[in-house]
Amino acid sequence: MDAIEVVDVWKKFRIYHDRVYSLKERFIFRNRQKTEDFWALKGVSLRVPRGATVGLIGRNGSGKSTLLKIISRILYPTRGRVRVHGRVSTLLELGAGFHPDFTGRENIYLNASILGLTRREINGRLEKIIEFAELGEFIDNPVRNYSSGMYMRLGFAVAVHVDPEILLIDEVLAVGDLAFQEKCLARIRELQGQGKTIIFVTHAPKQVAELCNLAVWLDRGEIRMQGPAAEVARAYAEFMGGAAG
Amino acid sequence: MWQQIAEIYAYREMLRNLVARELRARYKGSVLGFLWTFFNPLFMLVVYSAVFSHVMRVQVENYAMFLFVALLPWNYLAQSVQQAAASLVQNAGLIKKIYFPRAVLPLSVVLANLFNYLFGLGILIPALLAFKIRLTPTLLAFPAVLAVQTLLVAALALLVAAGNVYFRDLEHIVGIALMAWFFLTPVLYPLEAIPAEVRGYFLLNPMTPIVDAYRALFFYGAWPDWGQLWRTALGGAAALLLALAGFLKWQRAVAEEI
Repeated sequence: MDAIEVVDVWKKFRIYHDRVYSLKERFIFRNRQKTEDFWALKGVSLRVPRGATVGLIGRNGSGKSTLLKIISRILYPTRGRVRVHGRVSTLLELGAGFHPDFTGRENIYLNASILGLTRREINGRLEKIIEFAELGEFIDNPVRNYSSGMYMRLGFAVAVHVDPEILLIDEVLAVGDLAFQEKCLARIRELQGQGKTIIFVTHAPKQVAELCNLAVWLDRGEIRMQGPAAEVARAYAEFMGGAAG
Repeated sequence: MWQQIAEIYAYREMLRNLVARELRARYKGSVLGFLWTFFNPLFMLVVYSAVFSHVMRVQVENYAMFLFVALLPWNYLAQSVQQAAASLVQNAGLIKKIYFPRAVLPLSVVLANLFNYLFGLGILIPALLAFKIRLTPTLLAFPAVLAVQTLLVAALALLVAAGNVYFRDLEHIVGIALMAWFFLTPVLYPLEAIPAEVRGYFLLNPMTPIVDAYRALFFYGAWPDWGQLWRTALGGAAALLLALAGFLKWQRAVAEEI
């Protein structure tokens, strides 16, 4: 059975030149409201089998993040439909909703609940999250005193312990020092081992080849190629090499 | 729609945490901290009782308390609606990055203000006793009146929150509209002060029976007008369902519009 099914999804953004929000401006500029339609996705279809790890590659502006946001229901498709079977957790930003004056521990509750966990679920994971974040006694300090690395670690620790069936990751692996990146990758492999479905966005074909079994290459809102990760990563790397040279 | 309501319930821990954040973070770093929650209504009471017993004499006996029992629930409404209007726009960062039922944001504002109102009772009740106003079993009607008011407040909060995303003037219009509404509701004056021929129109205002009911049970030791309250409850429930349906429809595009 497929974990994610994307059927002919189109997404239109309306680009406003000088966005008008207020009544006065609407009235004064009623003939000047310039908008332009931009199609970020043009008929994208894909199926992600349960337990697969899919790399989403493409250049900036190719629609990768838009597709990820549509799958996670942050955005809605203009046309087409998306079916998702299972609980989704999206890692677009680490530490969403952290309050600087609250301690690390308090922020774990805040952040995890925004990601949809109940109190009991959070209590059950609290120790693991604290251990993973490697903050030591800083866990009971306000996060205002954290370095950006500590902040990211705490955010990542919460996100990967939400224990979703489907995990969507958007280029967040670029944060933290090398040791922590290794740890994140190890955790992703662990989740793969547990049979989770993972989609992750990147523009590094190397990561795709290493981590994924499937890959989708998006180019200007359309799927240019999809299939086994190694093949797609190679084709993309060649194309990018050609484009650069 | 029921599925989406169930989803809001599934995010109750987020709601709880946002309310806690709201209540605790507001006074974080200040010396008195959480005590401000009590000091605000207390100072309000001191000022009103000084002004209305020494400066401006009003024909109503114990006017400061007459006003205070109505002002606290009015503030619950006014602050909820005003803050809810900004709630989605203020949390744009969160909305653009994470999926969660968006209604949690305005609802958390309502709940935080509900708690503030309840904390205000910690000042109101001793003050009533200090002014020698007899507390009677009619206080038992309080939860019912509060529930009716909350239906109405939640409905308005959802509407202005979604509306303000598409039309930013709303936040400012809300401020003015609330002020006008305040003077049209018998908070400063008794319902009987309104000329009989227009009193019917004032009763169309859903806050009129609510304020009147609070005043009855706290100040006069009388039971509220149940028939009136029941009709307001039905109206409030209908308004909340409509507001929620509207909100769920509008929330889809929220991440793009803010």
